[in-house]
Amino acid sequence: MKNTSDSGLSRQESLNWFAAWWRAWTTFWFTPSNPLLLGVLRILVGALLAWSNFVWLLDQEGFFGLSGWQSTGNVWRLNDQPWHWSWYFPAQTLLATKSLTFVSLFAAMSLSVGFVTRPAACIALAGYVSAVNRAPLNTFGFDDVLGIMLVPLIIGTAGARLSVDSIFRKKQSVPNTETTIALRLIQVHLCTLYFFSGCGKLLGASWWEGTALWGAVANIQYRTIDLTFLAWHPLLINALTLGTLFWEVSYAALIWPRLTRPLVLAMAVFVHLGIGLTMGMMEFGLAMLIANMAFLPPHLNMSQTPPDSKLATGRNT
Amino acid sequence: MTKEQQPLKDQTTRQQWPLAVRLFASVAILVYLLAIALPPLAGPPPASELANVILQPFRPLVGAISLSHGYRFFAPNPGPGHSIRWTMLTARGNTLKGVIPDAETDWPRLLYHRRFMIPEKIAALVPPPRAPAGIRREATRDWQPFAEDIANHLLTKHSGQEVTLELVEHYLPDTFELKEGRAGDDLTTPLGSYAWRERTSL
Repeated sequence: MKNTSDSGLSRQESLNWFAAWWRAWTTFWFTPSNPLLLGVLRILVGALLAWSNFVWLLDQEGFFGLSGWQSTGNVWRLNDQPWHWSWYFPAQTLLATKSLTFVSLFAAMSLSVGFVTRPAACIALAGYVSAVNRAPLNTFGFDDVLGIMLVPLIIGTAGARLSVDSIFRKKQSVPNTETTIALRLIQVHLCTLYFFSGCGKLLGASWWEGTALWGAVANIQYRTIDLTFLAWHPLLINALTLGTLFWEVSYAALIWPRLTRPLVLAMAVFVHLGIGLTMGMMEFGLAMLIANMAFLPPHLNMSQTPPDSKLATGRNT
Repeated sequence: MTKEQQPLKDQTTRQQWPLAVRLFASVAILVYLLAIALPPLAGPPPASELANVILQPFRPLVGAISLSHGYRFFAPNPGPGHSIRWTMLTARGNTLKGVIPDAETDWPRLLYHRRFMIPEKIAALVPPPRAPAGIRREATRDWQPFAEDIANHLLTKHSGQEVTLELVEHYLPDTFELKEGRAGDDLTTPLGSYAWRERTSL
């Protein structure tokens, strides 16, 4: 009898446990959100992507041409064929590659202003993927971060606010689930990025020794602002290095609690603006900051309390 | 759950999705999350075989939307910077010299960084000159196709006959060396001489 009772109780507990998980999962992913923040992200991502396309245009022959820095026949050496597709592969002339880049550029601009937003986001994604898959020798972190945000901008109602589309739409935009999924995907992807970036650094002695930052400061290939005076302040180099390491490794945990989130975001501003200004990678820094904006309140009013604030439990906040 | 994303139960909030839609969306979200997390787990080295095995069915999705990133920014250690020096003999018999990237002419900065990635990515494939001959010979198969492409691009762009490439690893001084005004020599590795698509020497 006792065993039966125990197993029955255990079964009930298991069901409750799964039910609690399902409730938490659906609350996390499917609670409607205000599309205002996603609209702001759309404007900024579209603008950065348009800029990226403009720069691709500056060396078309080198990036996508038949006699480019990397021939199409050697692209497989840096990516996973046939899955890494690109609309530049069949393009045989400079006119064709230029036309395709202009399509990407206009799609990115259309995305930024929110004109036929979802189709524009789809074409912008296709253009982005095509570029990075055709020219893997020329891509870096900036491209990785742009890619984080394009699929979510297709999923969410990114054109519902602050857009040309919203001017012509008769219905008022309302909080919706697609927007929540989009913002959550950016948030979780960003946590994944920082987690692996931080873990990768833990393999390096210079990060443990607190000297890694010097490696970036002393590298003349990156330098746009001379910070070599830090050589006279080794403890400051240690503090900056270890602070960056701890922040990256702990980001995925500390960004969620309401108490620590502002500190984590403030550190993101410090780190990414620092990288942008001193290492000349402003586009990368801005892209990372834009992605971090996904953790701001969706209605963008920091002081406003939602009408149902009594429901706020403080868990996962 | 952020406070701001709590359900807004008034007429301005779209109704929550039906259970079937939420279940379908949940599966799609899980697939997407795996496509995000598996590539950095599966590479670059060191990486487990298990992660690579699990990644296999996700390769079409990962490739289709370009999610195959390692996210190892400045890891495991920020290393020295690299550039490629080239010397070209043109059809008219002139000698041209250049460097990739060229901080003087590669502007805007994003263009500079896109070109800067060329020597940085090739440097990851080229062993240092002091490495054993066998390792250097083996590595040639990895980096030489890229060097041939770069040479061909330069020859086409400048109407050249032959170009010689060198990979330069710029010396990274430590804090003590910098304070004492000392600096080591840059490390130069020959990448070969090329005439159009035909390699003439190594």
